[in-house]
Amino acid sequence: MSVANIKIGSDGERVAGIPESRKHKIRFSASFIAAVLGVSMILILVLTAVFAKQLSPYDPAERVGKPFEVPSVAHKLGTNDIGQDILSELIYGTRVSLTVGFATAAFAIFLGTSVGLLAGYFRRMDSILMRVVDIILVIPFLPLLIMLAAYLGRSMINTVIIIGLLIWAGSARVIRSQVLTIAKKEYVVAARAVGATDRHIIFRHILPQVTLLAIGQFVLVVSTAILLESALSFLGLGDPIQKSWGTVLYWAQVRGAFLTPAWLWWVMPPGLLIVCAALGFALIGFSLEQRVDPRLKQKR
Amino acid sequence: MLSESRGGRVFQYLFVLVVAISLNFFLPRMMPGNPLALLAGVDVGLMTQEDRDKVMAEAGLDRPLIEQYASYWGDLLRGDFGYSYRQKEPIANLVLARLPWSLFLAGSSLVLAAIVGIAAGAYSAWKRASVIDVGLLWSMITINSMPSFWLGMLLIAIVSVRLGWLPSFGAETPAAGYEGLDRVIDIGRHAILPVLTLTVLTIPAVYLTMRYTMLSVLGSDFIRTARAKGAGETRVLFAHAMRNSMAPVVTILALRLGFAFGGTVIIETVYSYPGLGRLMFEAVGGRDFPVMQAGFLLITIAVLASNLLADFLYPFLDPRTKGQ
Repeated sequence: MSVANIKIGSDGERVAGIPESRKHKIRFSASFIAAVLGVSMILILVLTAVFAKQLSPYDPAERVGKPFEVPSVAHKLGTNDIGQDILSELIYGTRVSLTVGFATAAFAIFLGTSVGLLAGYFRRMDSILMRVVDIILVIPFLPLLIMLAAYLGRSMINTVIIIGLLIWAGSARVIRSQVLTIAKKEYVVAARAVGATDRHIIFRHILPQVTLLAIGQFVLVVSTAILLESALSFLGLGDPIQKSWGTVLYWAQVRGAFLTPAWLWWVMPPGLLIVCAALGFALIGFSLEQRVDPRLKQKR
Repeated sequence: MLSESRGGRVFQYLFVLVVAISLNFFLPRMMPGNPLALLAGVDVGLMTQEDRDKVMAEAGLDRPLIEQYASYWGDLLRGDFGYSYRQKEPIANLVLARLPWSLFLAGSSLVLAAIVGIAAGAYSAWKRASVIDVGLLWSMITINSMPSFWLGMLLIAIVSVRLGWLPSFGAETPAAGYEGLDRVIDIGRHAILPVLTLTVLTIPAVYLTMRYTMLSVLGSDFIRTARAKGAGETRVLFAHAMRNSMAPVVTILALRLGFAFGGTVIIETVYSYPGLGRLMFEAVGGRDFPVMQAGFLLITIAVLASNLLADFLYPFLDPRTKGQ
């Protein structure tokens, strides 16, 4: 249940200050601006992750300076408690955070789409599957996440699995409601009447119709997953070797960086990166949703 | 969801509780390794033989699983949460000492977030597509993407350390010996930053729901009717539009309380606040699994109770379901 799933309801909303009458001027909808902003933010981050090796001045695992160095020409964001270059840590951290975000979302959307399709199409499975969805949505999320992480141990794969297992439910519900509408459409009824199998109908007629919705959900879930991963890592439950942005903040917290001037270069930048990533994906998801979600289209 | 009877909802919450308790029972027993360590929460090597026997007997690891499960339920129903071998205290005591602080944090920030979120959301929808509406919308979406612990760390760095206005950790000044009003003020000063952080992070969800609902309500026929009948704009806003937008917001608030409780784990960690969430975090760090489980269970109960409360409030807030 991500907060990003809450509908904003501004389909076709015009940016303030531009009167309706000036028809010949190009007008940008909020969802278009969101898309452009989101895509450029994510593009920069993805490029950073891909070219981490070329971009970072040092090996992030190497002790390249004295501990707790202030920013200088050699170390633009200073060094951490054991003398590693913080800027390099953050550049490589982009890889970890984005990978976990994508992998988790892929897993969660696979689960969510499958359950949504099954529940929406086979009415007999609906009530049972939706009960499961309801339970997952009601159980307090973060404490359960922490508990599972504590039992399973700290590794990137475990992080992906436990976050994925807990965040597919919201998407399943959205996709199910779309499947319900499609399954009632005439061409589906007609296909069934001429003897098409359930499998044929689901894969040829229904799945293509929900793909775009699922992509929108995927992007929103990446945003949520990145935030959750950072929270887990901040609590010391992330992969100890693959340092993400959250891990950098964990060490900043453990060493009390926010009580010293180091908050400016040790606490501020990783947080801003998390905000950029989460916001970028949320904006893309928001504008996709505006295009896809039938409920929003009906509005106005 | 609305069509479900209230009895059905109660049943569903009870079922969730059973699931949570079963998770607590089965998780440590399913994990690889020695379940004794997971059940006791201390390294087996560090335990005395006496303790080891006691844990074995209490958990009944030599008995069939179903019998263990039954006695686990029996203990819980009697209010026995087990014993923390690490902290050498019954877990019920530990948890109960921490619970009020978390209720205080989550409760007060939720009330504040509800007030601000509802007001801002209603205003935004009322002045749709104005500069303020667009500005509010974008800032709320941005806040939604902020990690809570980061916001907390920044507030400490700026407000507590640089400006020196407020204390940065704990719920009270230790050993200050304040009494009466002084103590209340001291507790208040310690609570400002954690409550502020939780509030800021809870506002967007309330705002977005309120704005979305208000927009659809404002487009509906009865608003036009009210205007046509000559109702003033103020009356339309408060008596018609806002009144009819409250019900979904309450549902979101109930859900948010769950998040606020979950969020206390992080907020209390950042501010070293002695609540349930912090207890859970410390338990995870010290691998004190029984305490961690008790924390999870209590947070779950609190969340379910608040959901139930929202379900009972719903009919009073939604005029359409009245009298059914």
